[in-house]
Amino acid sequence: MMSFIDRLLEKRARSAAQHASRRGLLKTLGGALVGASAVPLLPVARADGHGGPAHPQEQGSDTDCDYWRYCAIDGFLCSCCGGSANTCPPGTEMSPVTWIGTCHNPADGRNYVISYNDCCGKSSCGACLCQRDEGDRPPYRPDKTNDINWCLGTSSASYHCSTAVVVGVAFEE
Amino acid sequence: MSRRVAIFLAGLLYCPAALLGSDAGINEARAKYHYQMFCQGCHTPDGAGANAVPPLKDFMGYFLRSQRGREFMVRVPGSATSKLDDAELAEVLNWSIDNFAGSSLSPDGYAPYTAAEVGELRTRPLQEIENHRAAVLAEIAAIDQQGAES
Repeated sequence: MMSFIDRLLEKRARSAAQHASRRGLLKTLGGALVGASAVPLLPVARADGHGGPAHPQEQGSDTDCDYWRYCAIDGFLCSCCGGSANTCPPGTEMSPVTWIGTCHNPADGRNYVISYNDCCGKSSCGACLCQRDEGDRPPYRPDKTNDINWCLGTSSASYHCSTAVVVGVAFEE
Repeated sequence: MSRRVAIFLAGLLYCPAALLGSDAGINEARAKYHYQMFCQGCHTPDGAGANAVPPLKDFMGYFLRSQRGREFMVRVPGSATSKLDDAELAEVLNWSIDNFAGSSLSPDGYAPYTAAEVGELRTRPLQEIENHRAAVLAEIAAIDQQGAES
């Protein structure tokens, strides 16, 4: 009985060795690794819903009021409040209604369109107050003023902080 | 040039967009920039609007079904009193229609706004908007119903 099992196992083992490539496992694993690394390159939609240039050349810190994108801001910097220049802090909601201007980027010498979306739903952050007002217009030009509360399209009108999202490159005549 | 090549090139020049009334004079980069600077803040990047801000997306085309509707899109304060000159305003309106009107646009297309037309209309900006808008949309709904019955 034992010799029968021995013979059977030997036969199966030799058969497997003859039909399966010894490099087959490496080939399969290698293919899987290369395939997995290609997944992030596929043209899927990215989180940046504004469709603007995703990566202008950067210079300076987004927690500094002198940061180039803040040229017309008036408020608390979300990057000091648990968010960033592009994102709201946890627990707040970004207003879809906002005001928009342009800022000059010293790193590449180009002017960019900046959307100053406010983050809403909590009381004022209180950190990194920044008021630069370059290009700010009086409230009779409501689409170009930072003197009003822009928490207009959100469930709460409580202002928390301001972002400065790059949404495009300024058109130069 | 062979006859086949000539026919091929003639085919390329025959652009269906011209039949649909799309404005070939639109500078894409300039129009998009003006939309971003003077419209997008309220109407949002894709024209969907938010809360009390009315949508452009899949909606602008309805206004083009009546003369009063066509005039409405120029006479609203955001258009009429913007700092854009007449040619720029006409361009950004046509660009917005091309990009956002979608299913609301008639299959027959539309006649693009011209600087002269916009220049005349914006001298009469609307003072009261909500009632005027409702009346224009009711008028267009009646036109659509008549078209469906005939």
